[in-house]
Amino acid sequence: MNIKRILAIFYKELQDIKSNSNITVMFLIPILLTYLWENLIPGMPSGMGLSLGMMFLIVMVGMYVPAMLIAEEKEKNTIEVLLFSPATSLEILIGKGLLTFTAILIISLLLLVLTGIYSQLFIIFTGVFLTTIFSIATGMIVGLLSPNQMATGVIGTPVYLILLLVPNLSIMDIEIMQGLGKVLPTYYFLNMMRFAIEGKGFAEMYTELAVIGGSVVIALLVLLYIFQRKGFRN
Amino acid sequence: MITVKDLKKSYAEKPALKGIDFAIKKGEIFGFLGPNGAGKTTTIKIVTGKLKADHGQAFIKNMNVTEEQKRIIPMVGVVPEQANLYERLTIKQNLEFFCRLYQVSFLNIDKYLELVELKEEENTKVKNLSKGMRQKVLLIRALLHDPEILFLDEPTSGLDPASAAGIHRILMNLNAEGKTIFLTSHNMEEVDKLCDRVAFLDDGEIVAAGSPEELKLKYSDKKIVVVIKTDNGSEERTLDITGSESADQIAEWIKADKIISIHSTESSLADIFVEITGRQVR
Repeated sequence: MNIKRILAIFYKELQDIKSNSNITVMFLIPILLTYLWENLIPGMPSGMGLSLGMMFLIVMVGMYVPAMLIAEEKEKNTIEVLLFSPATSLEILIGKGLLTFTAILIISLLLLVLTGIYSQLFIIFTGVFLTTIFSIATGMIVGLLSPNQMATGVIGTPVYLILLLVPNLSIMDIEIMQGLGKVLPTYYFLNMMRFAIEGKGFAEMYTELAVIGGSVVIALLVLLYIFQRKGFRN
Repeated sequence: MITVKDLKKSYAEKPALKGIDFAIKKGEIFGFLGPNGAGKTTTIKIVTGKLKADHGQAFIKNMNVTEEQKRIIPMVGVVPEQANLYERLTIKQNLEFFCRLYQVSFLNIDKYLELVELKEEENTKVKNLSKGMRQKVLLIRALLHDPEILFLDEPTSGLDPASAAGIHRILMNLNAEGKTIFLTSHNMEEVDKLCDRVAFLDDGEIVAAGSPEELKLKYSDKKIVVVIKTDNGSEERTLDITGSESADQIAEWIKADKIISIHSTESSLADIFVEITGRQVR
């Protein structure tokens, strides 16, 4: 694996998204939502706006951006040129995922600053780190399965909505949602955020860490399987 | 430099290549001619290792293209038929990205931008470029890592005559520097002008191959048209040049000061293609 080539792809993506409003808007929405939830909704429990903003960031940005980046390369046939370069498929995937990963970490930091929550940062970032890897891998799966950008919406939206809405609705004590949520890593991420804001430590989050960690492994294995079967081609 | 042996490829059981063989020498410009759907792009994809053949093998410098693709990639530059550049990036950003991928210096960028007269446009986004300009950027991109072999898939398709002539000039310069060029086209004039040797591909098969001159000679009707003076003005006479009778006839006309002009009826490559395949190249 060649770090310089991974950074070349990362840098190209960075240059490209500056004029890609589809993507830049996605990066701004979680900041705006967190601000609204934290400041403009009366009776919102402390830290809840941050948790929901983080969820939106990780699920929507984490999945949508890599899915779009991969589908666009396929749609515009630029992937052919990348594949016929010295870059390996793994370097291409990592280069593309790295942009989303870095952006999520930076925006997470911004959200923490915005909400003034500075405690349990290590726990929060552990949750963000692991769940982001899960989301990016899932987004890449959507991108590999989609022949074009439009198709990422058809294939991805149900996945994004389930992973985003079910944990959010489970907070509202809707029984069926709580049952469904227990199989989703994002439900456990929301739990981790809540526990961290309440001041709890890692010792009380073994289940959350195990489920999110397990989901990361499963998502990466599914990504590998689909990649081996399908590659970047439509 | 490039050897292809009995390549066969089918898409959904429809044969695209039915067993083609050819060899290209170092420093040659080889033209692969045929109508749309003849199998030209499929051949390029197989020879560059992007696509696996169902049968047969392709070699570049005696290396099997599927087994040794990593070694072959740095030797080869490809200009695809479809302009697959990053539209939101500028010309310079596109080219710098490829330099980073191939880990070569940016120095070649300025050299080639000047060569194709795009230096002043280097900060223009690709989405704002004309088709001819995009084609030039694709050509530069294929040259940045200084490959020995260039594969060009319909490099002047859809270009105006001036832009096409610009691309031809660049290709001839590159060939003069020693680069081997594999060119697919359905433009017979382009191939006639540029190529040392050509192969006609029709319906997945090579139906004729040789230098443009050899093909013209082989498929020529070996006739000349002589315009002579007559009492009523002038008249065209068509003569067969294979027999001595024509020579005698021409000698007679010359003595009588009757000849106004003599024209060959040499076939163009397009005529030859039609003669061989019975259909037009489109």
